[in-house]
Amino acid sequence: MRTTAHRTPHTEMQKTSTYIGLGLFFALTAFPLLLGIGYALLFSLGLAGMLSEGFTSEHWQAVLGSESFWETMAFSIYVALVSIGLAVTLAMLLVVRWPRTFESTPLSFFIYWPLAIPAIVMAFLIFQLLSKGGALSRLAFQLGLVDGLSQFPDWVNGQYGIGIITAHFFMALPFFLILYTQMYSHEGLKGLMQQAFTLGANRRQAAWRVAVPVLLRRSFATVVLYFLFVMGSYEIPLLLGSQSRQMVSVLTIQKLQRFNLADIPQAYTISVVYSVMVVALVLWLLGAKKQV
Amino acid sequence: MAAAALQWSCSSGSVSEKEEDTATLTWGQAEEKGRGTTVNLMMWSGDPLINAYMQNYVRPALKEQFDIDLQIANGQGSTIVQNLMAELQAGKAESELDLMWINGETFYQLRQLDALYGPWTEKLPNGRYIDFDNPFIGVDFQQPANGFECPWGNVQMVMIYDSLKVADPPQGRQALLNFVQAHPGRFTFDNQFTGLTFLKILLIDIAGGPGSLNGPFDEAKYNIYAPQLWAYIRQLKPYLWKEGRTYPEGVAPMHQMFANGELWFTMSNNDCEVDNKVLQGLFPESARAYVWETGTIQNSHYLGISRYSPNKAGAMMVCNFLISPEAQYKKQDPAVWGDGTVLAMDKLPEEWREKFRALPNRRYAPSRAEIQDRALMELAPEYMIRLAEDFRKEIIQ
Amino acid sequence: MSIEEQKSQINGISLILIAVILFPFAFLLMLSLGRRWAYPMLLPAEWTLDNWQAIWGGQAGLGESLLLSLALSLSIATIATAGSFWVSKQVAYHRNRQRWLVLAYLPYVFAPVILAACLQYFFIRWGLSGKLGGVAIAQLFITFPYGLIFFTSFWTERMLSLEQLIATLGGNTWQAYTKVLLPVAKGPILTCFFQLFLISWFEYGLTALIGVGKVQTLTLKVFQYINEANLFFAALASCLLVMPPIVLLWLNRRYVFSKVI
Repeated sequence: MRTTAHRTPHTEMQKTSTYIGLGLFFALTAFPLLLGIGYALLFSLGLAGMLSEGFTSEHWQAVLGSESFWETMAFSIYVALVSIGLAVTLAMLLVVRWPRTFESTPLSFFIYWPLAIPAIVMAFLIFQLLSKGGALSRLAFQLGLVDGLSQFPDWVNGQYGIGIITAHFFMALPFFLILYTQMYSHEGLKGLMQQAFTLGANRRQAAWRVAVPVLLRRSFATVVLYFLFVMGSYEIPLLLGSQSRQMVSVLTIQKLQRFNLADIPQAYTISVVYSVMVVALVLWLLGAKKQV
Repeated sequence: MAAAALQWSCSSGSVSEKEEDTATLTWGQAEEKGRGTTVNLMMWSGDPLINAYMQNYVRPALKEQFDIDLQIANGQGSTIVQNLMAELQAGKAESELDLMWINGETFYQLRQLDALYGPWTEKLPNGRYIDFDNPFIGVDFQQPANGFECPWGNVQMVMIYDSLKVADPPQGRQALLNFVQAHPGRFTFDNQFTGLTFLKILLIDIAGGPGSLNGPFDEAKYNIYAPQLWAYIRQLKPYLWKEGRTYPEGVAPMHQMFANGELWFTMSNNDCEVDNKVLQGLFPESARAYVWETGTIQNSHYLGISRYSPNKAGAMMVCNFLISPEAQYKKQDPAVWGDGTVLAMDKLPEEWREKFRALPNRRYAPSRAEIQDRALMELAPEYMIRLAEDFRKEIIQ
Repeated sequence: MSIEEQKSQINGISLILIAVILFPFAFLLMLSLGRRWAYPMLLPAEWTLDNWQAIWGGQAGLGESLLLSLALSLSIATIATAGSFWVSKQVAYHRNRQRWLVLAYLPYVFAPVILAACLQYFFIRWGLSGKLGGVAIAQLFITFPYGLIFFTSFWTERMLSLEQLIATLGGNTWQAYTKVLLPVAKGPILTCFFQLFLISWFEYGLTALIGVGKVQTLTLKVFQYINEANLFFAALASCLLVMPPIVLLWLNRRYVFSKVI
């Protein structure tokens, strides 16, 4: 691809449009982000904002020194890891075990339906299903499994983020099912499997030694990106989370809009730490990808 | 780059004083100016009946009477403060918000930021009916309103319980502790305004009862009594809903859980809410409201106009309508909202006095007269801000 | 296992999965038609069309929100698709294409609500906060990068040689676009359009913050009803939110899915 550049016919007009294109590219991608992170950095250092009193590292110390901040980061990573891990594993198992299931009609049509559910609706659904007064709890009562809703387990707004993880799991599962089904049929995998068979592998070996590693490697970048989405998600933890274990977006907005105005610089400090993390992960990911 | 942009914005910007001449307008001129405009109101929208009152009654009435288009945005106190502060910081000449539903701590913070317009309430023709002499109306969290906010409703906090499940509801701190120990998981309070009001009630009781914390914020007193409050809450905590590890994000989810039977108690800043919730069919008919023997806080809620509102005249007209006998009467009806009026009965014309008197009685809440002598004054706003902060630090984390 | 057995097994799994997939939609529909759903009843005690009638009749403003969201998301999808198609072409053959692409990935994975919090000052400063236009610009910041990433992989050597062929044959840029590039790109353009529509259509946090709650898209309505524990209306607004994507799926499912890396 890189060798193509010098072959492009370079008229003046094309040059101009390339510059305009690059300008627009920058203006609509990196510019707002840099602007925002820059502002957040200034704010976090006491150099911006109405209540600021000049440079201070106090907010950074407050954030980095607080246990709850690190707990928030760890909890965000935990939620993303568990929900994506489960979704990827299950999707992989289903696709490798029954590769043709998701190509068959009418499932090949309906499997797309869950993609029509936005995060806020998924959060609402999970709440109505899993909370103590929700549909599953009612079903358990009707079936005589529990004597009342207080016996139903704490799945929503709980300490372990079960509600949040469930919601993200159901958002991610259909996505990865479709992804792996497409990869399985389109990316020469069948040929590879065939080769494995001719070399004497049985079905299970072909699946585990050939299909799974290939799918994993090819979807690795997508999985990491999805991980970042889940980590930064807002609506789902907002509605299904607990106040003592918050995810990073929820904590940021809460610090921004709570009673204590002195917390606002902390909101921006958290934003900067989050940004650094995202930038580092993306650079690493795309760097790694180039080498593959 | 961001720094450059910021510098640019700072240099370009002391707010152009658009104080215009609203202050000098007569009411007639203001009405002329406000007619046919759009007014942006930001208010807490966590209650379906309140929202229905605004959407189905206030908005159409304003449109019909004054051709005013009232736009309502959802946002509670802290959101309002954060928005107006960001606007001031950016040196914006015109605010996105004209009118805000505020009280107490929001009023205090907005006054500190100088984000409120005023004084303006004496301009309102219907202002003459308001009972400003009532300290529960004229004074907001120990701060005189001084014309910078207009009283809109007056309420007293109540505890709500299910009389089928709880025969003898606790009347104070110790009784509550005994109760939750015997019935774990059935009681909680929300993480917002109502829950904080509950904490203040406990704090007043710990500090020695009615009046003990009146006056400006007293750091020394707070440092003595707040630790005792947290010690008490820590005693309660293991017996609260979800072992006190999380608290409902507002009264609506708490009401929902009370309706389901997951909780046996809920609470409300509005003494009459239990009636409207039973009428709606949300609460069981066995729901009852009561006030602890040690008392609960009575307060008012208000409407404020932002200092850089581009449409102060329109905002005032909306406000004048909201405190009209007609709108206040409608609002006090338990089937509509059940919000106590801020109008003084002795100042009202006879026909309105009659109408207010004839409003359907509360059936599930105690009458105002019964609980009036158990009414506590609101505390200075810093108490609430500190409690909110320390509640997170001491209890949630 | 015989092929027949395998087939019936697949059919069995398919049926179970379809039931699982359809359940949430049925559940939402049920709640939107219900009234009085006390524990421990499995179904609402009363059924009514009142909620649905309130979309246009009542003062709830659901109908307006539906139209607003549709107009906003369709415009965003159109602008961002067209813009990123053209811009990505300029970058695609650049020697530092990979580096440029990193710039697009950053906002793409960044939490929109945190981006909004960091940019709030500038939106207020430039008079954009609380305005539909401001929300639209903010949404462009999250949709445009997606479009760029999406289209960059479209501009391959083959496309370049096609273009060069046209140039050799004496065609101008206009002809290159209308006769070759756009017809070839029709599929990807539609996919990108639908994807961007969905990103905008589903957006909540950024819209609430930049719109100051004044730009009331459907997602804000859903949240508001959840906030007031009005689950029947929350379900109704959710149904409205889910329907357009389903219609798009029904029109052509191919366009609704793509991976971008």
